[in-house]
Amino acid sequence: MSAGKADVRLDKVCKTFGTVTAVNKVTLDIERGTIFSLLGPSGCGKTTTLRLIAGFEQPSAGAVYIGGQRVTAIAPYRRDFSMVFQSYALFPHLNVAENVAFGLRMRGVPRDQRSVAVSEALELVKLGALADRYPRQLSGGQQQRVALARAIAIKPAVLLLDEPLGALDKMLREEMQVELRDLQQRLRITTVFVTHDQEEALTLSDRVAVMRNGVIEQVGAPREIYDRPLNEFVAGFLGASNFLDGSVVSHDDGIALVETVAGRVHVRVAKDSAAIGTRVRLAVRPERMRMNRPDGEGLSARVRDIVYRGSVTHYYMDSAGGPLISYRQDASVEDWSVGDDVRCTWNVDGGVLVAPEPA
Amino acid sequence: MKGRWAWALLTPPLAVALILFVGPLLYLVYVSLHAASPSELYGNALTLRNYTALLGDSFYLTIIQRTLATATAILALCLFIGYPVAYFVARLPLRRRMIVLLMLLFPLMVSNVVRAYGWVAILGRRGVINTGLRDLGLIDVPLDLLYSTNAVVVGLMTILLPYMVISIANALSGLDPRYEEAAQALGAGPIRTFLHVTLPLSTPGVASGMLLVFLLTLSAYVTITLLGGPRSKLLVSMIYDSVVAFQWPRAAAIAFILLAIALAVTGVILAVLRPARVQGTGR
Repeated sequence: MSAGKADVRLDKVCKTFGTVTAVNKVTLDIERGTIFSLLGPSGCGKTTTLRLIAGFEQPSAGAVYIGGQRVTAIAPYRRDFSMVFQSYALFPHLNVAENVAFGLRMRGVPRDQRSVAVSEALELVKLGALADRYPRQLSGGQQQRVALARAIAIKPAVLLLDEPLGALDKMLREEMQVELRDLQQRLRITTVFVTHDQEEALTLSDRVAVMRNGVIEQVGAPREIYDRPLNEFVAGFLGASNFLDGSVVSHDDGIALVETVAGRVHVRVAKDSAAIGTRVRLAVRPERMRMNRPDGEGLSARVRDIVYRGSVTHYYMDSAGGPLISYRQDASVEDWSVGDDVRCTWNVDGGVLVAPEPA
Repeated sequence: MKGRWAWALLTPPLAVALILFVGPLLYLVYVSLHAASPSELYGNALTLRNYTALLGDSFYLTIIQRTLATATAILALCLFIGYPVAYFVARLPLRRRMIVLLMLLFPLMVSNVVRAYGWVAILGRRGVINTGLRDLGLIDVPLDLLYSTNAVVVGLMTILLPYMVISIANALSGLDPRYEEAAQALGAGPIRTFLHVTLPLSTPGVASGMLLVFLLTLSAYVTITLLGGPRSKLLVSMIYDSVVAFQWPRAAAIAFILLAIALAVTGVILAVLRPARVQGTGR
């Protein structure tokens, strides 16, 4: 079985707990040296997928490969990975240096080499000064760094992160996201990251898999997932979206004209999709939704509410096709007021046709 | 305001402890520093003789030694039998774990006197073991199983084992399974995971189990008297004997030697196991 450039590979992996299917025929290829996110709401099977890679769970069907080697039947401690847990799971009876040294000790690295590797790992997470502290004497952010240092000290082929930033406050989380990204780029460890936070997934990842009910809904680069969601769930899970129902009235060289009850709009589509007459659902990101004078083209709507949020202003509108939202950064220029009639348009690439949720 | 409430709530139990515990204890110290009197609780003369006589007398030294040896043997047996049982129990699903722990508590509902007589019926000269072995033709003369230190060890061990098992099982079942997974993720196999992570993290349970077993061994009386007989007396037996002989000051002195041993061993157990170091959750 050749794994190609894939460092972690799942092949039609299933995991059932009793009658519940937690992971359903998941197939993934994670390229060497990249960060891959498993994103989804709680209970979507993302953590179970991670634990299947680690070997803490045995797949009910399918196979797991790490570095081209089939590891499905191999015990976790013989697999070449390390893991950062949401609760960090730092050993409370060992100090920071001993925690970081643990994996090296288990691998039989001699004491002098061990201490060099420990200082290196602690330097990487900027915690060199705290080597003698015990976990209970550290703040949440420091514990997080120790957990990371402990995981990278053994220089694993694969680093698994289970919501590692979930326990931190927002400011610290954003800071750690940048640091984590930096660290991963420097060390080039293949990293699999579980999160329910779409911003985190978009910020950190080279590729993202959006999961729901044990199934992968879409895999792709962050921009691709965000701009070209395949279905309504993905579009709705990664930030806000305006949804509008309509039907295709004409189709010309990849640009479809969609008729909605609120007006006609153009959308870029794949050439062989969206035949004339098809019922479709449109998804448009609020920041791509432009507001124009009521005499132009687009969807007619009326401003219901305006919420000033500092860097952006949110415009809530009502249209015949349902409520619409627009985020504007240049609010002062347009200066709309509540009750104004407007026409909403977007760049032809700003909207996307998504598969509607089955009712 | 808050402080006043705290004091109001604290005062009654504090008073009870002072009047009923600390006071009598200090009085007992005072008693132990006097000579015996045939008619009173203690004589007039102040003296350290009760202590010097006890600690200089090879008879009492032997008994102190025997007390320590017996307690250590019971402690070791409870630990080595109890830990694996606790490890097994802790891994059971919650419902079954509760059932097993309840079953472990059942023996504690039977009086120690009844259980000691149970051992007499098993270990006695005409007990189950001796009769069985004689019927099988393996022995002609009954073995002296009863009235020995070994009988005391076996008898007390079976009484105290549940305390050890329950203490350790509670510590182990409260352990976040992520610790063991973290160890495995760092390359530790099952044995090293146990030695480097599970065992150290269970020390609070081990320490409390050891303290319970040790302190209950020191204060046990019925089992020691019924199974040890006159030849295998321990320090508690000497307190009783002294009281019966109206040697109240000497009884008090032995009580304090027992207390000193209890405190010293407690200190050693806590110093070696350092259970407090794993109390932080690691989060």
